[in-house]
Amino acid sequence: MTPLIQARNLRKAFGAQTVFASVSFEIEAGQHLALLGPSGCGKSTLLRLLAGLDAPDEGQLWIDGQLVSEPGRSLVPPHERRLAMVFQDLALWPTLSAVENVILGMANLKLPRRDRRAQALAALETCQIAALADRKPAGLSVGQQQRVALARALAVKPRLLFLDEPFSGLDLTLKEELLAELKTQAATHATLVLVTHDPGEALALCPHALVLEGGHIVESGWTAKLLKRPVSKTLRAFADSLSRADS
Amino acid sequence: MKTTAHDSKKVWRMLSCDILEKPGPWRVIGLAAGLLLALAPALVLVFAAEGSVSNSLGTLMAGGFGTALLRSLAVALAAALASVAVGLPAGIVAGLYDFPARRLLLALLALPLLVPSFILAIGLSLLRTTLAFSADGFLSGFSGTAIAFAFFGVPLVLFITLASVRGISRSQVDAARLAGGERHLFGCVARRVFPAAALTGLLAGVLTLSDPGPGQILGHAGAAAEILVSFSAQYDFALAARQGMVLAGVVVILTLPVAFWLAPQLATGLLARDVPPAPLARMKRVSILGPALFSTLLLLILAMPLAGFIPPLFRSVPAERAAQEVARTLGNTLRYGLVASLLATVLGLTLAVCAGRSPKLRVALLAGLVLLFALPPSLGALGWIHLAGVSPASLDPVLRSPFTVGLALALRFFPVAALFAMRGLGTASPSWADAAAIHGVPLMTFARKVVAPWLAPVLLPAAILVFLLATADVSSVLLLHPPGKGSLPLAIFTVMANAPESLVGALCLTYVGGAAVLLALAWFTMHSLKRTS
Repeated sequence: MTPLIQARNLRKAFGAQTVFASVSFEIEAGQHLALLGPSGCGKSTLLRLLAGLDAPDEGQLWIDGQLVSEPGRSLVPPHERRLAMVFQDLALWPTLSAVENVILGMANLKLPRRDRRAQALAALETCQIAALADRKPAGLSVGQQQRVALARALAVKPRLLFLDEPFSGLDLTLKEELLAELKTQAATHATLVLVTHDPGEALALCPHALVLEGGHIVESGWTAKLLKRPVSKTLRAFADSLSRADS
Repeated sequence: MKTTAHDSKKVWRMLSCDILEKPGPWRVIGLAAGLLLALAPALVLVFAAEGSVSNSLGTLMAGGFGTALLRSLAVALAAALASVAVGLPAGIVAGLYDFPARRLLLALLALPLLVPSFILAIGLSLLRTTLAFSADGFLSGFSGTAIAFAFFGVPLVLFITLASVRGISRSQVDAARLAGGERHLFGCVARRVFPAAALTGLLAGVLTLSDPGPGQILGHAGAAAEILVSFSAQYDFALAARQGMVLAGVVVILTLPVAFWLAPQLATGLLARDVPPAPLARMKRVSILGPALFSTLLLLILAMPLAGFIPPLFRSVPAERAAQEVARTLGNTLRYGLVASLLATVLGLTLAVCAGRSPKLRVALLAGLVLLFALPPSLGALGWIHLAGVSPASLDPVLRSPFTVGLALALRFFPVAALFAMRGLGTASPSWADAAAIHGVPLMTFARKVVAPWLAPVLLPAAILVFLLATADVSSVLLLHPPGKGSLPLAIFTVMANAPESLVGALCLTYVGGAAVLLALAWFTMHSLKRTS
């Protein structure tokens, strides 16, 4: 079976600074994968390449067997890749209410206006934020904004859901609450890629993980297995902290 | 192949929203085209007079124009020094501390920026007559002209300093305060914002070089006044053009280093919004001294010239004549202002979008804006006149009409709108466009539903400010207006020498009142739009 995403020898640099090089991996359909690594290792840049927001300097990228990016060129624009993304800063459009954010997010779907609104409200309902559908982002708490951003992403029923550090800056209680909800939502939804520097989040949400350090993939596989014999600094530090907590 | 409306719609749909956040050659091309367009009238004049300036430079400088230029430079230096000396500390106080009526006092202090400098000079001149000061006393000649120009320079330096202080992060302010108290903080902040304030003062000085009004009214006519006399009184276009180019040369030589140094300062001080500014501190001493300081400033730079308009009105109130004059010129004034504000806002926004978030392009644009803003308006106006003279009559609607005046004013004042637009765009998150691209939101829909409402609280006040600045202009309108289509400031400028003082006073007060109403409208619009968005 063809993997949903195939990345071969991806390289990206900003000026003289190479972010990563020779990055190759595959993601199967329905897989939930955590992209782990320290801050600044290029996780978000890699996610932007997958989303089509940037093009690689070298290497190729296939989605569902179709070549979507090649060196210097994005062959398939982001909105034709059938994906959705929750950004680190959520990227809610501040001039629109919660429901308008979700409706505008469905711009690519050929739906009558009434159906579009119904589908948007249903997505907000799923994310337990329908009661505040008419509020603008500025009138919502961070947790509520998080739910709207998730509803906007889920409303388009994407085959690929990208989460770019969606829990950074949240307190532990809210993070746990949202993680549990996201786990429920994600179970019924498409392939998921979570970018995080927190292995705890990865462990809670994604059975598979891929660790990016120093511009290369250091290890990849089942998250739980990787944590038993960690190779990367990121997972070693996390495994150490877990054993300290146990003792 | 035929391009239909349907095709162009398809092209717009194909453009992804993330184009707004991506680099591309269109940015540099757009910036260069916009700046060239703004510079085009002046360039036309320069190319038309190629060689004649260098040949006659010696004659020009040896004559009255050389002396006038030296007078202008001396006044510019004095006005710049006074502006920094007063504007810098006042800006720091307003940027660090809260005190009673702070916002109102600051709003009133913005008024001199929007009123023609010659109106404030008329106020000083009338005040001098009322107080029976001698014609060669403190309120006239060199000192009077420098004071009149400082009425504009002080608020300019004050507001740039204020904006720079607000660009300092809360943690930096707290650290300086903890290290050595308020005096230490004041010193640290002063050192940090001094370059921006000094360069703004220098810019204010350079701007005085192109302004003929105060010098002519207060008996210290400078180079800009000489150009007006050459064109309007001696009807010698060639002489005016040569003088305009010499003045522009001096302005460019003085402004280039200012633009070079000020642009990065503006880019980091005014446009960066990634750090929360320190909250305004409330202190007992400042709550008394602050209002006292700003009321004194207001008294000196606004109330003093305005006081000059009142005494003549005690003798007689020429309400009917003033109303006639206003009715005759109001339509043209509004038309010039509206065309200028619309075109300037569109051009300013376009250039701001072209510059985007690229630090290099933003600095380049800011440097270009500073340079363009400092150029003598008469240079562009004379360029338009030359262009109209060599073009076929079919182009008259563009080159010899009220629209021409509006267009010339737009090209003069669009840097203000561009600055506002850059600031507005800088506050938008880059991920908004990325999210729109991922969701397939058409660019026009994204612009209409997200970008336009987000920028409205910034662009509407910018448009009103450009409107005010354009309606206050005299140099361009005097040279370009079609017969019988003068503006209100031009009417005041024309009648001030011969009309009764009471009429001049009444017209000036009417103008200042109108400007105050529009300023209040801009302030109200900005705040109500911010609240609703």
